[in-house]
Amino acid sequence: MSDAATGQKRVVLVVDDDSAIRRVVRTVLEADNFEVVEAADGPAALLLLEAINGRGPEAVVLDIMMPGIDGIEVCRRIDHSRVKVVMLSARDDAETRDEAAKAGCDAYLTKPFSAIELLDAVEKLAT
Amino acid sequence: MTESEVLTDLGRSTPASLEQQLERFALDVGELHQRQKLHTEQLEEALVQMRTTYLETVRSMAYVVEAKDAYTGQHLERCRVYGNTVMAALGVSAQYPDAEYGFLLHDVGKVGVPERILNKPGPLTAAEWRVMRTHPIIGYQILQGIPFMTTAASIVRCHHEMWDGVGYPEGLRGEQIPLPARVFQVVDAFDAMTTDRPYRASLGVERAADEIQRMAGAQFDPDVCRVFADLVETLPQRL
Repeated sequence: MSDAATGQKRVVLVVDDDSAIRRVVRTVLEADNFEVVEAADGPAALLLLEAINGRGPEAVVLDIMMPGIDGIEVCRRIDHSRVKVVMLSARDDAETRDEAAKAGCDAYLTKPFSAIELLDAVEKLAT
Repeated sequence: MTESEVLTDLGRSTPASLEQQLERFALDVGELHQRQKLHTEQLEEALVQMRTTYLETVRSMAYVVEAKDAYTGQHLERCRVYGNTVMAALGVSAQYPDAEYGFLLHDVGKVGVPERILNKPGPLTAAEWRVMRTHPIIGYQILQGIPFMTTAASIVRCHHEMWDGVGYPEGLRGEQIPLPARVFQVVDAFDAMTTDRPYRASLGVERAADEIQRMAGAQFDPDVCRVFADLVETLPQRL
C-alpha cells in the first residue's frame, strides 16, 4: 500500500558493498519519500529481510558483484511473493541479465544508473 | 590489471565510475527539468481552458435571465468589459478576480421576479416595486454558496445601492458598498446612457460622461468617477 493511503513510508532495502552507491541510492529514494535501510553484503541483507519479515521492505535494490554471497544468490533466496527486487549492477552482459531473471528479479538497471529510471522502477514495484 | 580495473571488477566505485554516475545524474536533472516545464505548460493551458469555461458558463446564466427580462443587446458584455477596464485602472483586478462574473450576472435574481412584473408595460404599483426590489437578494442567494463567486455575489447584492445611501436593498452608503459594486454602478449607468433604448436615443459619450461626473459623490463613488473620466474615451462602443 502507498504511504498516502496508510500514512506510513514505504521501505526499500539497498544492498551494495560500496558505501558510495548506497548513499547515492538512499538520497535518491529518500527524496521521493521512501524509507531506506542498508546492508553492505548478501548475508546481512538476508538476515535483515528475515528479521523484519512482514513489515517491509517492499523492495530491494540489489547489487550483483559482492564478496561472499553475490546478488544473484541473494535474489534467489528472497521470498518473491513479499519483496520485489531491482537489480543494480555494473554488469550489462546478456548472461548476467539472464541469470538475474532466472533468480526472480523484477527489474534490471545498470550502473551508472539513472535516478529517474530507479525511481520509476521502485515506484512501480513497491506498492 | 591496474588497481582501478581490479576495483571495478570487485564492483567498487572508482573516481572514474563516480564521475560517470555524476554525468548520468546530470542528464536526469535535465530531463526532470524538461518534464517539469511541460507539466507546468499543461497546467497553465488547463487553467486557461477552465477560466474560459467558467466565463462561458456564467455568460449563459446571464443570458438566460436576460431572455426572460428585456433583451438589451450587448449590454451585459459591455458592462463586463467596461467594468474590467475600470477595475484594472483602479489596480484591483487581482484582488477581485470574479468581479466580471458579477458584472454579467448583476440581474440574475430577476429569475425570482414574476414575468408579469418584469414585463409590465405601465408603471409598477408599490407592492410590485417591493417584489422587484428583492432581486438583488435573490441573486445573492443564488450565488453565495459558490466559492469562486464571492465578489460576484457581493456585486449582485449591492448593484442597486447608492453612494449617498438612498439605494436598495439595504441603503448602504459610501464605502459600506463593496468597491466592485461601486464600479458596476458607474459602468452600468454609462452604458444605459450611451445606448439607444425604445423610449429614448443615446445621449452620446460626452454627455453621458458629464452626467456621471455630475452624480459623483451623490449616486456614485467620486474616486471611481475620477478614474472613469480618465478612461471613458478609450472604452469600445461596439461589442
